[in-house]
Amino acid sequence: MTTYISRRFLYTIPIVFGVLLLTFVLFTVVGGDISVELAGKGASGETIDEIREEYGLNKPLFLAWDSQFINHFKNALTFNFGRARDRELVIDKIKRGVWPSLALTAPMLVGVVVISVSLALVVASVRGSLWDTLAVVVCIAGMSIPYLGFVFFGQYFLAYKWGLFPVFFRPDLTTAQNVALPVLIGIAAGLGGNVRFYRTVMLDEMRSDYVRTAYAKGLSRGRVLFKHVLKNAMMPIITRVAMTAPFLFLGSLLLERFFGIPGLGYLMVEAIGARDYSVISAITFIGAILFVAFNLVADVCYALVDPRVTLE
Amino acid sequence: MDLIANNKRDVKKSDGNGTLLSVRNLSTHFFTEEGIVRAVQDVGFSIRRGRTLALVGESGCGKTATALSIMRLVPAAQGKIVGGQIVFEERNLLDLNEGQMRAIRGNRIAMIFQEPMSSLNPVYTVGDQIAEAIKLHQKKGRKEAWADAVEMLRAVGIADPQRRAREYPHQMSGGMCQRVMIAMAVSCEPVLLIADEPTTALDVTTQGKILDLLGELQRQTGMSVLLITHDLGVVAQRADDVAVMYASRIVETAGSRRLFAEPGHPYTQGLWESLPRLGFKGRRLRTIPGAVPEPLRFPAGCKFHPRCPKGRSDNRCRSVEPELREVEAGRCVACWYARGYEDKA
Amino acid sequence: MNEQGQTIEARPGKGAGLWLNAVRRLCKRRLAMVCLGVVIVYFLLAGFVYLAEMFDWRVGPTRWGEEVGQSYAPPSSRNLLGTDIFGQSVLRKTLYGARISITVALFASLISIAIGVPLGAIAGYFRGFADEVIVWIYSTLSSIPYVLLILAFAVVLRDKTVLGHRLTGVAAAYLAIGLTSWVGICRLIRGEVIKHKDREYILAAVSYGCSRRRIILRHLMPNLFHIVIIDFSLRFVAFVHAEVILSFLGLGEPNRPSWGAMINDARMELSRGVWWQMAAATAAVFLFCLALNIFGDALRDSLDPKLRIQ
Repeated sequence: MTTYISRRFLYTIPIVFGVLLLTFVLFTVVGGDISVELAGKGASGETIDEIREEYGLNKPLFLAWDSQFINHFKNALTFNFGRARDRELVIDKIKRGVWPSLALTAPMLVGVVVISVSLALVVASVRGSLWDTLAVVVCIAGMSIPYLGFVFFGQYFLAYKWGLFPVFFRPDLTTAQNVALPVLIGIAAGLGGNVRFYRTVMLDEMRSDYVRTAYAKGLSRGRVLFKHVLKNAMMPIITRVAMTAPFLFLGSLLLERFFGIPGLGYLMVEAIGARDYSVISAITFIGAILFVAFNLVADVCYALVDPRVTLE
Repeated sequence: MDLIANNKRDVKKSDGNGTLLSVRNLSTHFFTEEGIVRAVQDVGFSIRRGRTLALVGESGCGKTATALSIMRLVPAAQGKIVGGQIVFEERNLLDLNEGQMRAIRGNRIAMIFQEPMSSLNPVYTVGDQIAEAIKLHQKKGRKEAWADAVEMLRAVGIADPQRRAREYPHQMSGGMCQRVMIAMAVSCEPVLLIADEPTTALDVTTQGKILDLLGELQRQTGMSVLLITHDLGVVAQRADDVAVMYASRIVETAGSRRLFAEPGHPYTQGLWESLPRLGFKGRRLRTIPGAVPEPLRFPAGCKFHPRCPKGRSDNRCRSVEPELREVEAGRCVACWYARGYEDKA
Repeated sequence: MNEQGQTIEARPGKGAGLWLNAVRRLCKRRLAMVCLGVVIVYFLLAGFVYLAEMFDWRVGPTRWGEEVGQSYAPPSSRNLLGTDIFGQSVLRKTLYGARISITVALFASLISIAIGVPLGAIAGYFRGFADEVIVWIYSTLSSIPYVLLILAFAVVLRDKTVLGHRLTGVAAAYLAIGLTSWVGICRLIRGEVIKHKDREYILAAVSYGCSRRRIILRHLMPNLFHIVIIDFSLRFVAFVHAEVILSFLGLGEPNRPSWGAMINDARMELSRGVWWQMAAATAAVFLFCLALNIFGDALRDSLDPKLRIQ
């Protein structure tokens, strides 16, 4: 097992390197020299040079020990992301945004997974019936509604019209109150595609030969579903959960913007508007790291669930 | 071996001549996008205590569907048993509710399948899977059931059963997986074992060993076996009685020796003649012309008539389907031209 | 006619059979056909607006930021879906918005297929170093959450000059989406090529001296085509969503109406009780994606029976 984990971990190293390379190429090479913009309108040549010096933009791109790429690399690994346009340290901004984002996305993730898997099991057990068809229709509809559509319904009806939740983030309310509606919206938006996918997975597993054997042994449908099918379905479920992680970022982006929650998503949107490359680059990098870590955890879960994995 | 011999055979539940299972006029339909497939039509045969009945036919003739129908394992969304009776131990299985049927599956009637490796759950140990059946039907506790499972593995000829019981199916060969399946099936001492092409997916040497194992278990426990196969060699060696199936119908049933000596139905005759035999030199191997009809496009009349040397041009064969009739003691045929068929109308 | 004088049915060749069969099965599903119709209507609408602009047919307002009427008028008989802050008809904006979304999604699809299919084929067929590099590239790309990735590209590409052309908002959008979304199709193609590579028919082609390029183009590609089609129809929805998000965040086309921009405007409007722009844009996206999803499903079912669910 430990060899398996170390192998998976080693594999992440070239990926992290690749991500750093990508963010560097994107923001520095393609993005170009932003010192002119940073200096502001009508700045003198001196100011621009000073800024260049400070941001290290006058150094060669790649081919030197002190090149921009090496610095980018070093900085990212020490979480030194430089300064944003408003001169504040990027790392400070990020630290401020972590908790609100987490308070929003963690419940969303748990909620979506637990509810979708349960619903999918229920739907799979009544396969072929009218309920099943109805469920599929609802899921497809849910998948087609853009994320923002859910936000609309939630914010307009539940908050504005019926006043069940606050329309915007208010510092005087508790975290739970501020986050409740966005979390609900996030879960609702994620259900459609997930339930449909898990249902397909369950149905696929239910067609396997070993399910037929289980029934031939005299097991009841409930036993077959929960004991035999579910454990085999765990592999694709875990994969899907790992894949769902990026949507947490999306949710965080849109929901935070709509509801004014001061998390990382909000930070990102502001940075986009202000063309704040250092912030965007930093968040992209962190996003990638989180995602990679998530996948590593998923890999470990695979090994726990399916005995065939570690013996490869 | 003790475990198996140590059973409480209830020999009372069969009728006068020792018939354990009697299938009469069984019909099963499947629902597909292209229409209703009548996979099993008017099928009837009997299995006696302690005997092996081979259900023979080409792929697609409905043998597996028949077996699944007996176990009532046809998924409701895919198909339905539309008629007939399955009398087992004096009860019609089609009258039972699901709960009663579950008490029979794996317990009184057990089934093993064609692909042993995929028929076992890959994420549980083989010991767990065998013990599951024991826990369910014999109401034993975890430790006891596990011990029984290990014993079953030993009884089916797996060496070092303690260690093997903790292994997963993908760590075993095909032959071993089939032994595990057999162990699982026989663990609750069923009186009838349905074996659906148990050796088709295995290599020749393993085939023989598995069949030997089945034979040995049968001798020890007195259970009956419904052996589904398309391999005539297996039929000749292991079956006491034979039922030949063609295009969803039974065309002939007889004792194994009688059938080989003197096949009554043209299809059976064609099958026998197409077997290569020692001593056949220089002559072309005979085949049955044409192909098995598709279930959605069965011919009218006798289903075999387009390929039958006699029935091809016979008006009666082309329009009226012959029913299965007992033409002499212990032999039934469904052919207008069979000897003794007309008299028994 | 065989020896016994019976006629044997002539059946079409296996290749033609798969496609004919698929089309036949597809046409039988009326719901899928209806959805296809809806999708086609959207495409025609988008095409019409595109051509109208290109040839300057003057069917609509040229400047959407002009104040032309009553702000925020609710839906009425004059303006079926109400007006926006400038008094522009929301209905008109919705119809015009189709053009942006569909052209962006279309170009993005083409770009991602143009990148993903060849890379996937090369990686799958040649394995070795090329495979390692390509897998590394797309693993890196897929390690960055999709949304962040697209945003990053879109921000950077905006207002840049590529080969002498200045990138407009739309172009930046579809480049951003296209350059980042080829990973999925690349993986699929690579997997299929690896599976097919060792099949007998390829080995046969190699044995009689077929060049590698010919093998890829003539033997492998036709078998992979249906995967590309299925992926295209499923991804299109994702691309439309992505475009909506880009427009919403101000990274799309600033001068023309788009559904995402309408939703962005609606953000503030909602708190004033003005719901028509948001509803219209959301409904437009929803209808299109629903139709495309249903049709895409039906398409997949008929092209790849193994994926069929009872």
